[in-house]
Amino acid sequence: MYEAHLVLHGVAVKKHGTSAAVADLVGLPAERVGALLDAAVAGGRAALANDKYLLTPAGRMIVETQYSRYYSAPRADAGFSAAHERFEVVNNELKQVITDWQTMKVGGRQVANDHSDADYDEKVIDRLAGVHDKVEPILRAFAAVVPRFAYYLEKLEQALEKAEDGAHAWVSDATIDSYHTVWFELHEDILRVLGREREE
Amino acid sequence: MAISLGQFALALDGTALPERTQIGGKAWSVARMQSLGLPVPPAVVITTDACRAYLEAGRFPDGLEADLDAAIAWLEQASGRTLGDGAQPLLVSVRSGAAISMPGMMDTVLNLGINDATEQALAAESGDARFARDTHRRFLELYAAIVLKATLASEDDADPAAIRAAIEAQGLAVPATPREQLHGAVEAVFASWNSRRAKRYRKHHDIPDSLGTAVTVQAMVFGNLDDASGTGVLFSRNPLTGDPAPYGEYLHRAQGEDVVSGKFTPEPLSALERAHPALHAELMDAAAKLEVENGDVQDIEFTVQQGTLYLLQSRSAKRAPQAAVRFAVDMVEEGRIDADTALARVTAEQVRSLLKPRLADGAGDGVEVLARGEIACQGVGVGVVVTDSDEAERRHAAGEAVVLARATTSPEDVHGMIAAVAVVTEQGGSTSHAAVVGRALGVPCLVGCGDASVTALAGQTVTVDANAGVVYASALAVETPREEDDPRLARLTAWAAERAPLRVIGVDDPQAADAHDLDHVEGAEDPAQLPALLAGHACVRGGAVESDAGVAAALAAGVETIVARHPLPVLLAAIEAGKAAS
Repeated sequence: MYEAHLVLHGVAVKKHGTSAAVADLVGLPAERVGALLDAAVAGGRAALANDKYLLTPAGRMIVETQYSRYYSAPRADAGFSAAHERFEVVNNELKQVITDWQTMKVGGRQVANDHSDADYDEKVIDRLAGVHDKVEPILRAFAAVVPRFAYYLEKLEQALEKAEDGAHAWVSDATIDSYHTVWFELHEDILRVLGREREE
Repeated sequence: MAISLGQFALALDGTALPERTQIGGKAWSVARMQSLGLPVPPAVVITTDACRAYLEAGRFPDGLEADLDAAIAWLEQASGRTLGDGAQPLLVSVRSGAAISMPGMMDTVLNLGINDATEQALAAESGDARFARDTHRRFLELYAAIVLKATLASEDDADPAAIRAAIEAQGLAVPATPREQLHGAVEAVFASWNSRRAKRYRKHHDIPDSLGTAVTVQAMVFGNLDDASGTGVLFSRNPLTGDPAPYGEYLHRAQGEDVVSGKFTPEPLSALERAHPALHAELMDAAAKLEVENGDVQDIEFTVQQGTLYLLQSRSAKRAPQAAVRFAVDMVEEGRIDADTALARVTAEQVRSLLKPRLADGAGDGVEVLARGEIACQGVGVGVVVTDSDEAERRHAAGEAVVLARATTSPEDVHGMIAAVAVVTEQGGSTSHAAVVGRALGVPCLVGCGDASVTALAGQTVTVDANAGVVYASALAVETPREEDDPRLARLTAWAAERAPLRVIGVDDPQAADAHDLDHVEGAEDPAQLPALLAGHACVRGGAVESDAGVAAALAAGVETIVARHPLPVLLAAIEAGKAAS
């Protein structure tokens, strides 16, 4: 059943996510997701710890074998693959921007960015906004084939706007839905849909 | 009042300092360097009046074209070069600059003025056809990206005609003449005033929309024309160590972009001193002047063109934490700044990074090195190697210190990385997932240790020294530095204690026993719950009140004393929070 798969997929992407976070990501009503997660736990496909879900080894195997069945359309869609190729190019730029957020050059050497230079930080956030401008049409192309990808556009925009307004944790903090956290989930999602492996 | 070139343009000649609101911050700092008698390439500024008129009319105001012509004529005369043709072509940079520095504004366009004819002339003048071609290519790419907002894949050897064709394929075009290009660049600066990002920033920071931006147009100087030319960067003190001796790099017969590109290896400043002692002395003198004038350590970009020194930019230097501390204390001792300023120049975060645990002196001597990798996040971690993130989380929860070793990491490993005392990977560099997330979490992290190098260590106890990039066999002695062991940190601590709006005591203080310990309070790690948990407590301790946000919350809740392992970061955070609240 597609919805059961979708919920397992949501847990796979948003590892250690709450029921609400999974519902948000897959775009199903919270109650429906709660029921499907309960069933997944009962069936040994997911485990629950501190209100957060993760897949069991069996759940992981099941969700992975199902992708080719549910995503034959995007896998055969030339527009989707072309958008994915553009995404990988912008992805390299994003990684550089995040690295420049976390580190800076001092006297020719790369050191941790201690965020004591506001001008430098603002310029990096400018570049993050530039990345966002580039990924926006790509995400629309994804969403034209798999509508739930519109979720990422909204989440990325929220993170960017918070960062622009001075809440700098929203750039790359790994414990919240920062720009980088959402971007990585997006990347993971695309690779799963297409059945590809990540390259470092 | 500088030299008026019409209603909208001023030539900067150092005679008087125009208003910052009229010429913007960048032109203002150029004018100020001139007024100190320092050599700066000729520059003109299109004032914020022009921007306001443009935004009102939606087009260039009457008279601005004539003022631009006058501005070019002045630059040609001052530089002895001509825009768009001639044996000595004039190239200019075009930059935005509002009175208040702000994000979202147009990036600088460099080398405007190059075309097929001036490329030939520049090749002949510099004797370097490749440089002239690179300059042409870089200009077209920059103009396309910044002014036209085209998306081009950058190719190192693209020919100018091919770049123009690629731009035209997107329905855009680089104007034919430098004069038209200058018009385009100035208009793009004005338009960037209303970029989404700039508008949002102004709204958020209550900056009036009516301020407008100026445009600085400055002659480019060339560090590659002959053997008496070069380019470099100078710090008035060492930004890595804090040592008071000036520190810098010089590239003989090279252009500024070459320093940034990393294609060439710069020499230390002593090379300049040997080759051109008078220039070196002039540069040292300028650095000292700028440091005194600005009351802070300066980062100065300079170029020597045919034996003449030009200063391109001077700003407060970015600095490593160690240097931040030394600059602050040294400058107080020199009578240059007061203790309040010194404290404002050292952040709590910088001090925290200096007080991170590190390998005890000599602890690694003679110990087997199991792997080496690229440093992604500094620090030290001692633990048993596990290769699975779920296992790392499980064993951490059971009280074990674990080092997570993976070929690479993905979002599926984040919970394992949070649980680990250190993360090591086999593949990937400084932009890999492990590096990015490791830094975001502040977990000591080494990446790219090599295939099968670290996952093979499963079950072994190791020490990851992410300050040196080494994985050692066995658990080595780790020490935590203390403020009182470092004379400069000790002085900062004393100054901060006198000024902080709350008291900080060490964990060994007898009074510490009475503190309300947030480490044992459910929900203290949640910033939303913290104020309620702090209410009514005069003396508190715990990780939740050692972060900047935690200290601010404690101050707001009326806490009088915080117990901390490291007092200085808490004191600095409290001073900052006190300023923000008042």
